[in-house]
Amino acid sequence: MAANKKTKLLAKQLFKLSLINGQVSAGQVEGVLGYLEKTQPHHLLALLKLYHRAIATELARSHAVVEHAGPLGEATLKLIERTMTQRYQRSVTASAKANPKLLAGLRVRVGSDVYESTVAGQLASLSSAV
Amino acid sequence: MLHAAGLFPVMLPLLLATVDATPAAASGPLEGLKQTFEHFGVEPKLIFFQLVSFLILFAVLYRFGIKPTISTMEARNKKIESGLKNAEETQLRLAAAAQESAQLIKTAQLEAQKVVNEARKIAKDFADKQQGEANIRAADILAKAQQAIELEHKKMLDQARGEIARLVVKTTEQVLARKLSDADRAGYNEAATKELTAL
Repeated sequence: MAANKKTKLLAKQLFKLSLINGQVSAGQVEGVLGYLEKTQPHHLLALLKLYHRAIATELARSHAVVEHAGPLGEATLKLIERTMTQRYQRSVTASAKANPKLLAGLRVRVGSDVYESTVAGQLASLSSAV
Repeated sequence: MLHAAGLFPVMLPLLLATVDATPAAASGPLEGLKQTFEHFGVEPKLIFFQLVSFLILFAVLYRFGIKPTISTMEARNKKIESGLKNAEETQLRLAAAAQESAQLIKTAQLEAQKVVNEARKIAKDFADKQQGEANIRAADILAKAQQAIELEHKKMLDQARGEIARLVVKTTEQVLARKLSDADRAGYNEAATKELTAL
């Protein structure tokens, strides 16, 4: 069932309740879910989907996925973590993910932001330019 | 009646000429004339009554015969004259009509010739115009076809270029995937990290 204006507003309010110091708190999320289970408001499914999307987006903004081809040292990962935390002014954790298709270089994704310096990306740019 | 009266003096000399010349007495010409008449059995008393009856007969004949005949003849002559006159007038009118008709025909022929010439001119102009338009359309079609061919050529070249680039990139990817060592990759990762932190 499509979400109406009230459902969207409620989802937004619940999301705000799930944050502590601008970060998603697991305890708060548990509390919100318990409340929803207890009260069973109207359009529960649509409300849960909206809430889930908001939480996932917020979590993605606080997490950097570092795709790499070849070896990646722990120090490099930490450096990237610090850089992203400084840039976004909030705590960002980084995790490494091997992707041989990149050939060489790194691709860092934080939420909807992507930073790329890979051989595959440069070849793709060259291909589209030609 | 005038004719009858006129004949008698003419006949008289003839009558006298037929009479033998007799020795006339010394009584004179009158006596001689009287004897002539007696010789032919002509008596004056009878001549008068003959003359009267002749005149009566003449009058009757004139009244009931000659005059109507003359009238009829005159009427016929008049009719003939009028007929001839009508015929002449008709002939004149016919001649005038023929002349007028010839003139009309001539005028009509001139008009027709003018119309034909005009129609020819219009047809020629129309044909020339159509020819010109057809030439323009043909040139336009030719130009458009030329443009389409050039576009198609360009599109084909672009496609070929794209395909070649894709193949080159694919080949490069495959070669690099095989040829790049871990050390090369690590070096590239370091460079990428420096680039990221420098942003």
